[in-house]
Amino acid sequence: MNKRDNFLKGIIKENPLFVALLGLCPSLAVTTSLENAIGMTLAVFFVLVLSNFIISLIMSNKKLSELVKPVRIPVYIVVIATLVTIVEMVMNAYVIDLYRSLGVFIPLIVVNCIILGRAEAFASENKPVDSLIDGAGMALGYGFAIMLISVFREFLGKGTLTIWGNLQLNLVFVFDFLKIQPIAMFVQPVGAFLSFGLILAAITAIANNHKNKLAKEVTNNG
Amino acid sequence: MNKGLISGLVLLTIGLVCGLLLAVVNYFTAPKIAEEENKIKYAALAEFYALENYDLSEVQGNGAFGTIYILKEKGTDTILSLVYTVAASGYSSSTDVQMLIAVNNDLSVEGYKVVNHQESTGFGADIVDNDFKVSEILDLSNFDSVAGVTVTSNAIKQCFTLVSQRVESDFGGGLGE
Amino acid sequence: MDNLIMIAFSAFIIENIILTQFLGICPFLGVSTKRSSALGMGMAVIFVMLISSSVTWLLYKYVLEAFNIQYMRTIMFILVIASLVQMVEIFLKKVSPALYKALGIYLPLITTNCAVLGVAILNISKEHNFIEMLVYTTFIGLGFLFVMYIFSMMREKLDYSPVPKAFKGAPIALIIAAILAIIFSRFGGII
Repeated sequence: MNKRDNFLKGIIKENPLFVALLGLCPSLAVTTSLENAIGMTLAVFFVLVLSNFIISLIMSNKKLSELVKPVRIPVYIVVIATLVTIVEMVMNAYVIDLYRSLGVFIPLIVVNCIILGRAEAFASENKPVDSLIDGAGMALGYGFAIMLISVFREFLGKGTLTIWGNLQLNLVFVFDFLKIQPIAMFVQPVGAFLSFGLILAAITAIANNHKNKLAKEVTNNG
Repeated sequence: MNKGLISGLVLLTIGLVCGLLLAVVNYFTAPKIAEEENKIKYAALAEFYALENYDLSEVQGNGAFGTIYILKEKGTDTILSLVYTVAASGYSSSTDVQMLIAVNNDLSVEGYKVVNHQESTGFGADIVDNDFKVSEILDLSNFDSVAGVTVTSNAIKQCFTLVSQRVESDFGGGLGE
Repeated sequence: MDNLIMIAFSAFIIENIILTQFLGICPFLGVSTKRSSALGMGMAVIFVMLISSSVTWLLYKYVLEAFNIQYMRTIMFILVIASLVQMVEIFLKKVSPALYKALGIYLPLITTNCAVLGVAILNISKEHNFIEMLVYTTFIGLGFLFVMYIFSMMREKLDYSPVPKAFKGAPIALIIAAILAIIFSRFGGII
């Protein structure tokens, strides 16, 4: 597998959220606005890339990896928790509004299955550079997924798209044109489940369609 | 040496390194965090009064009361206004709704602001614009009750009640500075 | 007392951990296909949550706050939870094989269950005292069990329902969860 495929697999083929259904909790909770999703993506990106890199550095050293092997899961957890705490402190210091609205979901990145999963499944068996690329791809794949959900929810729920701070697209005119109100339900907990379910179904439908087409081509050619 | 022991030591070392790293990051971010928190605190205060026109001092309240800010006329001992930090419970813990309530010495309410609202942790700190007509409270000297329906509005009402119970004696020098 | 009842009720229904706080979604979707497994998972979560929240609460109040190293919170909490889960597993195996058989397979899954760490952190950030912490944790756990159980009953029925192909599996489960969430959100008006 070359570096490009390694990077791209996390975004489409093995997308952690839509395909593997990992990291569901934050993807439902923080997708009330695009800004929250972007903040979460940045945090996950930082943690996942660095944790993959550091763990792979530790595990690719033969001597060290033998010592670490029996306690590898606690070691992973310590490394990940440290990175998460760094993110938490930096966010609290520099983007306090975002820090407050993400709330408990920043420390909970520690138990996000994606990060521990990549550490165990990929970083512990691959070279540091490859792990770094894998981490970046997975984090971006996750990021695109939650941003998609948040765009869907924020647009339908409030009629706006908040990118960062005061940078906001106001699309309420669409609702004015249709003579309806934004559907507040979509930014409430109910909307999280509903939007995610609908988007997941749409993606499944597209994937099935694609698969059928491929199968047809194979039979036609054969 | 025992293999398990070595592994344990490795884990401990990594733990210590991480702890040290965090201490370093904390050393750099802690003052900034405190500054940001303060900025939010005073930003709220500055919405009520132009702070540079007053002598500002603080007293720590007890019970539901957090910091109480005392705004005095410059160079004198006359208390012009008091700003209370007061908390009341929403549906869960005792610090769910935290408000700033600014009262002038004629007992008129200069303004109020919900500074910390955790009714729905994690998904935005939207202040509930509800059916509770806070804007009708202009005078605390005869405050009794205002119709409120939801829990949040009860909490806000509770904040005002708590302030109204003590505000007169506070202006009369009850703060015991 | 009033306060405790308020905490209990809101933890159980209004602030339901799955439907409004979005914690523990993975086991909610993953282990809710059968009633028996939903029950087992729910019990295991209550058990571990109570022990871990008590320990982390004490640790935070008497160690982290005393030494002024609150920034070690996340790292200490997750290590405590991970090792507690291990210990509970060994302990159960020795003391009560029957209970171990019922809960055993769910225990390893709990370490990465964000509900457990989430509740430990929420107890700190909501500044609960020890009693409030116990009540809150118990009722959050019961709420988890309750929703898991209802949901598993619905999913058992779902196996025989004609679901559109694209919605099979997780999507329809999420939509059912949305309907449950509507019902639960309306309880908010009670208090």
